Amino acid sequence: MSEGVDGNAMYTVVAEDLTKYFKSGSISVKAVDNVSLRLPRGKLVALRGPSGCGKSTLLNLMGALDRPDSGSLVVDGTDDAHLKGQKEVAYRRRKVGFVFQMFNLMPHLSAIENVKLPMEFGAGAKDAALRARAAALLGRVGLPADRHNRRPAKLSGGEQQRVAIARALANDPPLILADEPTANLDSKTGALIIDLLRSLRGQERTVLIATHDETIAREADVVMEMKDGRLLADGQQPERIRV
Amino acid sequence: MRTITRAITALIRSPLRAGLLVGVLAVSVGLTLIMITVDGAFATRLDDIQARVGTSITVRPAGSFGGGFFDRGGDNNSGNANSGGANGGSTNGGGNTSSASSNQLTALADQDIGKVATISHVVSVSSLMTARYTGTGLESAVQPQRRANAPAATPAAGAGGFRRAVLVTGVDDPASLATLGVQNAQLTAGRTFNADEANANVAVLGQAMADHNALKVGDTFPINDMTFEVIGTYSTGTQFGDNSVFIPLATAQTVFSRPGEIDQAIVKADATSSVDQVAADIRQALGQDNVDVTTEASLVQSISAPISDAKDSSQVGMIAALVASAVIILFSVGLVARQRLKEIGILKAIGASSWHVIGQFGVETAVISLIAALVGALATFPLAQRVANGLISTPSTAGFGGPGGGGRGGPAAAAAATRVGGLLGSIDVAVSPEVFLYALAIAIGLALLATLVPAWYVARVKPAEVLRNE
Repeated sequence: MSEGVDGNAMYTVVAEDLTKYFKSGSISVKAVDNVSLRLPRGKLVALRGPSGCGKSTLLNLMGALDRPDSGSLVVDGTDDAHLKGQKEVAYRRRKVGFVFQMFNLMPHLSAIENVKLPMEFGAGAKDAALRARAAALLGRVGLPADRHNRRPAKLSGGEQQRVAIARALANDPPLILADEPTANLDSKTGALIIDLLRSLRGQERTVLIATHDETIAREADVVMEMKDGRLLADGQQPERIRV
Repeated sequence: MRTITRAITALIRSPLRAGLLVGVLAVSVGLTLIMITVDGAFATRLDDIQARVGTSITVRPAGSFGGGFFDRGGDNNSGNANSGGANGGSTNGGGNTSSASSNQLTALADQDIGKVATISHVVSVSSLMTARYTGTGLESAVQPQRRANAPAATPAAGAGGFRRAVLVTGVDDPASLATLGVQNAQLTAGRTFNADEANANVAVLGQAMADHNALKVGDTFPINDMTFEVIGTYSTGTQFGDNSVFIPLATAQTVFSRPGEIDQAIVKADATSSVDQVAADIRQALGQDNVDVTTEASLVQSISAPISDAKDSSQVGMIAALVASAVIILFSVGLVARQRLKEIGILKAIGASSWHVIGQFGVETAVISLIAALVGALATFPLAQRVANGLISTPSTAGFGGPGGGGRGGPAAAAAATRVGGLLGSIDVAVSPEVFLYALAIAIGLALLATLVPAWYVARVKPAEVLRNE
């Protein structure tokens, strides 16, 4: 891909020949195999594929939770592939928001405290301001105010996922990465969560959902498909595959 | 502040786990603090004892154990040497007064004292001679218990027909009763000898002896055909201590027919640091095989051995408890960190730096350590004294001599034992507020140590790995 970082203003993510191996003893498995893609800003993108095809690994690379073995990855103008130390931390804090299949909320914190948590890691705004913003985010994802001070164990699965989405939005990142966000929810709640994620996309924010659920793919603006670590629709032509 | 709040919230989410950890840690930290406190009390007491060690050196003929009440020598009453047993504490009564010869195997002579006096760092040399008197002129205030079916004793003899010997000590330095090994003695009436009374027939009696024989200052009593005037009485507060008679040395040598003989010499060095050198010089001057030279320091060392042993035990206990504390918190925090790998991964995934996570774990361990240290410190107050009492066995100073030079070590040993004896019976452990400073230091140390474990985990945890394995 010839465009530089500055030349990709219309894409939130630009990946080129991204490769990631996993080693287990003497066996080396190519989890992500020369993936090149571009994710346009303001779109809901579905990354579809069977379990073990490399979707989560690709999301982890985009979220700087893991590092590629080769290739380049630029997210919102930042070279994600070679981040270290505080730059890596700042990237995770500012550029991406994660929504996990298992919600991964802090069990000892209330809903509002969970949402506030990523904001607390940044430079210090006053606690009241953070709390107000967290409450606003919870309101935006549709969690009733009387649930704000409940701990995750006292919330339903759908409510927990709403809290997780609000947490992902806490630092207003340009990229939301959702890894099987409805896998632990019933279909009705799952549909509500997808609607919520869909509503989050905007002019500056891209939402990437890894899923093997056909119904989610139908809701996406762009659908990409992975198999055996390779991207079948290579992302060179976004919106080419419109289900 | 937010980190502290988060850490405390994380702690109280599992109150049982936190409580158990605090409890176990409090026991080991408390034990550490108790041992520190007890060790400090022991050290203070040993310092006190060392400070009271004098510069006296006792010189005796080799192999003798003083002219003491329980140890050597026979009695010096009925004319010729009639009792030469080495262990005759009491002899058959009825002996009459006459001159007596010494039963001592060897004795120091005046010229020996002269040699000692010329040794450098020697400040003074005082000599004494001790004899046991079982004549009728004086009767011991301490008499053997009479058996129920024993025949009635004669008036002159003690119960059961035995007469307890009276210890008579001749001294050439009577200015202070301290030189006699009766440091705690107080004159109750009269005076001690003066320089003009080196050959006078005068005596200072223990109060018990005086009372038992109905003697008071100005009265007279006989010993071996010589009449002595009581010029003073003293009291030590103990029956044995007050059961002695002191007379001038030259008079004693005459009345007991031991001209020029000296049982013991008490040498004073000019400083504590000179004592060992002076003792060595005395051995060289008089012959290593001819004399037993004993310093107070060596005696005090053996007397205070129980405290030294207890101090060693407390130090070992302190180290063991400290190590146990470290192991407990390292192991516990290690387990907790392993259980919370996913939490660490999530925190890093949502933007926490390693320092944020380490800080949270650090605060958690600090809170646990502080609470445990506080509990441990509070436990120190009621328990330190008990632990000290349990560690130290009450030593005995018996056998280190008594007034008049009886027993191992003679008067100098007796004086040393008297001086330190009161310090050995029990150790008062005063728990000072400093214990909270120690507790704080331990808590900080443990927290820092324990934070290494989560720091190690945090540094190694890759969010993708721990979240992939969920």
